[in-house]
Amino acid sequence: MNLKISALEFVQEVQNGNISAEDFVAKTLERIQSIDDKLHAFLSINEDAVNQAQEIDRKVKSGDKVGVCFGMPISIKDNMCIKNSKTTCGSKMLENFVAPYDATVIRKLKQQDAIFVGKVNLDEFAMGLTTEFSAFGPSKNPWETDHVPGGSSGGSAVSVSAFECVASLGSDTGGSVRNPASFCSVVGFKPTYGLISRYGLVSYANSIEQIGPLTRTVKDTAFMLNIISGLDSNDNTTVDNKDENYLSGIDSGIEGKKIGIIKEMLGDGVDPAVLSATKDAISKLENLGATCEEISLDMVKYSVAAYYTITATEAGSNLARYDNLRYGYDFSVEGYEFNSYITKARQNFGPEVKRRMIIGGFVPSTGHAGKYFLKALKIKSKLTREINDAFKKFDLLIAPTVPILPFKIGEKIDDPIALFLVDINTVTANLTGKPAISVPFAVSNGLPIGIQLLADSMQDKLLLRAAHALENTVKLPEVPI
Amino acid sequence: MVTEEEIQYVSKLMKIDVHDHKEYIDKVQTMINYFDILDSAGVESEEISMQEMPISHLREDKYIPFDDKLIEKLNNYKGTYVRAPKMS
Repeated sequence: MNLKISALEFVQEVQNGNISAEDFVAKTLERIQSIDDKLHAFLSINEDAVNQAQEIDRKVKSGDKVGVCFGMPISIKDNMCIKNSKTTCGSKMLENFVAPYDATVIRKLKQQDAIFVGKVNLDEFAMGLTTEFSAFGPSKNPWETDHVPGGSSGGSAVSVSAFECVASLGSDTGGSVRNPASFCSVVGFKPTYGLISRYGLVSYANSIEQIGPLTRTVKDTAFMLNIISGLDSNDNTTVDNKDENYLSGIDSGIEGKKIGIIKEMLGDGVDPAVLSATKDAISKLENLGATCEEISLDMVKYSVAAYYTITATEAGSNLARYDNLRYGYDFSVEGYEFNSYITKARQNFGPEVKRRMIIGGFVPSTGHAGKYFLKALKIKSKLTREINDAFKKFDLLIAPTVPILPFKIGEKIDDPIALFLVDINTVTANLTGKPAISVPFAVSNGLPIGIQLLADSMQDKLLLRAAHALENTVKLPEVPI
Repeated sequence: MVTEEEIQYVSKLMKIDVHDHKEYIDKVQTMINYFDILDSAGVESEEISMQEMPISHLREDKYIPFDDKLIEKLNNYKGTYVRAPKMS
């Protein structure tokens, strides 16, 4: 059984009766069993997955209607609710929380006969970019297991990269899908804000975060997007995409397209290997008939500070609900005064979450809001204006997804500013609501490099088309695990 | 520069215990001090753009029954009320 096939290949093979969903899912679970001790992508496994796959096979054989996923094994970042399954958010606070309902993306995937093989690791409440801040320990990069896989959707990227599933869903607040996709050599997509419902995604920073697929190919991402995108009455920030088919026309290339190279994302601090790969990608896009030209987005240099100010503020508000009365339950109220009870409950949060909550209390507070929070919102507005102007001239923008190569576990954990700056190329898409994708493009000394493309709002289809064209220009080595 | 006292005060408001954690406070201080870069962005005159949503775009405000009685899942649910710690 070849577990290395793409999602679309899997669907075709099951549909044609060449493989059974049961065999594939069973082999996938065996693969998880055999290698996940080394990688720690999974936090929980769906013990019923094989039975669910048997039911899909029965429907295929009897000619019953089968959903377009045909039993495709998917992993889900553990901050999305699957009814009657644990949703821990990588936190001790939610260690025993069982979701009482399905997130909209889960409901849609279930309707299309996807099978969730398990929930995967993340930085606690998605606050981080390495998975080192997971309360249950870091995930490991399958390309070099003493290196970080990126984050916060690190478990998602590892599980796809190491063939522990066919595809995964992550969430991207400042690069949390694209960053691990780049570090693990898979495709990672952050759609236009509102394209995918966030109902059932545990909130971190509602105004900028989005759910996004991580897959082996760009076509698989388009396939997933066809299933999970669209209006949802449970999330009033969703936008009507008129049931767009993101796979149609994906092969039509990018001849004549204008691509802007974001100057501020190729400046000081970019690893020479990453710089070289980016130049190579630009040259390959030109060979495909695109024209590339440098563009300056002046606000990018302030974007990381604005991003952390805004997200910490929203996180401080969102995490206020964790009081051990509605979530937690690890000790009784008996004998406690209200404030000391909640303070004790919040000891369940890990250090990074506590830090961001304190920042989230500080930056919007009386006397400080003008210096921090309001200024961050103004930068967000100006950056949006700059990028909107850029898209009047260009169809797409390009930059490396992450300016540096994957680094060793523990190397940057004590240096918050060094960690902040890893986000410099990804937060712009979140702050401006634009779609962005990381395409696996190179491997340098055994470590992957991803190239990021951005498009204007609701131009997700064009973005996927360009990403598919770029992906076809390279043949990358297979993950060495 | 943010002072240690300011951070300790906000920590208390956020109900997070950081007393005697010098290294912890230092890290928060470093993070907030990094945000001073915002001062050099020159955006004082910039308008903050807000997204407006007409009420007609919101879903109807109506009762939708839920499968389970969620309140019964709370540990401190006592049949007619939820037991909370006493207020000082």
